[in-house]
Amino acid sequence: MKYTLIIGDVKESKDIKKGITINHILEEIDLPLETVVVKKNGKIVIEEEEISHGDVIEIIRVIYGG
Amino acid sequence: MKTCTKCGVNEVIIEKKHSGQRLCKDCFIQGTQQKVLKDIRHYKLIDRGDKVMVALSGGKDSVMVLDILNSLYERNIIDMSTVTIDEGIKGYREDGVKIAKTHAKRLGIEHTVVNFKDSFDTTLDDIMASNSQRGACTYCGVFRRWILNREARKIGASKIATGHNLDDETQAILMNYLEGNIENLTRIGPKTISRSEMFTVKIKPLREIPEREVGLYVIARELEVHLAGCPYSSDSFRGEVGQFIKQLSRNHPTIMYSTLRGFDKLKPVIKQEFAREFNMGECISCGEPAAHEMCRACIFSNELGQNKKSL
Repeated sequence: MKYTLIIGDVKESKDIKKGITINHILEEIDLPLETVVVKKNGKIVIEEEEISHGDVIEIIRVIYGG
Repeated sequence: MKTCTKCGVNEVIIEKKHSGQRLCKDCFIQGTQQKVLKDIRHYKLIDRGDKVMVALSGGKDSVMVLDILNSLYERNIIDMSTVTIDEGIKGYREDGVKIAKTHAKRLGIEHTVVNFKDSFDTTLDDIMASNSQRGACTYCGVFRRWILNREARKIGASKIATGHNLDDETQAILMNYLEGNIENLTRIGPKTISRSEMFTVKIKPLREIPEREVGLYVIARELEVHLAGCPYSSDSFRGEVGQFIKQLSRNHPTIMYSTLRGFDKLKPVIKQEFAREFNMGECISCGEPAAHEMCRACIFSNELGQNKKSL
């Protein structure tokens, strides 16, 4: 069971753990929710959104230092 | 399944921690636009017939300002123009300029690009590579404001609109307070008033919008923006203060709002006690408004010129 994770130009295929949500992914890659907007299959979602097999998750960083 | 607080649909794109409100894309966009227009009215930022010059970097904040003010432009409430400043940061600024041009063209709005090179015979890259005594942001801020004022007078603008958001304002309040720059605090606000006719009033329509919501707005509206961070911003004091505020906001989601409200109450009192009256004259070098013999842009420019000569 896998999902696709896109951050910037990097696209990877990742394994799904049961009950995984956007929150878990953000914790794993150490990106605070307040600095990103996340899309699941092209639609903006909130952090509690669960991820299923075949989903494409795109993390867009909107806040940087300056 | 979480549903939109306003309309009940089950595709929520934001859950606002400070209010518990959950919103779908359409309700978020509409609500945000209404909030900004309400703030423009509340703070009296814009008068009918104003010519508003939008400082358009191509980043999320200025593109959002352009998008919302465009609704006033389309209704002939204001005239609008845009200016993009190219500080000469290779590998960074070019993308923003391109995106700014695209938006201005798409909306049929006048657009000018002004380079640091043309105005000061240097670029931010050159400044940072030289023996400069000050931080990048110090030069950049002073030079950009010089250009904006000059450009606004050139095109006959009555207001300059910038994309400063709630995070920016809270950072500025905290930075100046922590550094003991009480006099600087008197200059923070949604609208600047100046004692010189040569200064154009600056307005901040996004002052009460959290930075993340600006990011969410431009993505929800599918507006092309330049999202990368300035390569010179990483070690700034502002960056540290910004991190601190974001961390606090996790467990105290209303903290930026309360800081702003508290400051707005204090400001008239601080202003009365600490605002300095300057007799604004003209810079002996460039003719721009200056509190002393030379304006800061010329002082910095001279310093940098001396650095060049000493190399």
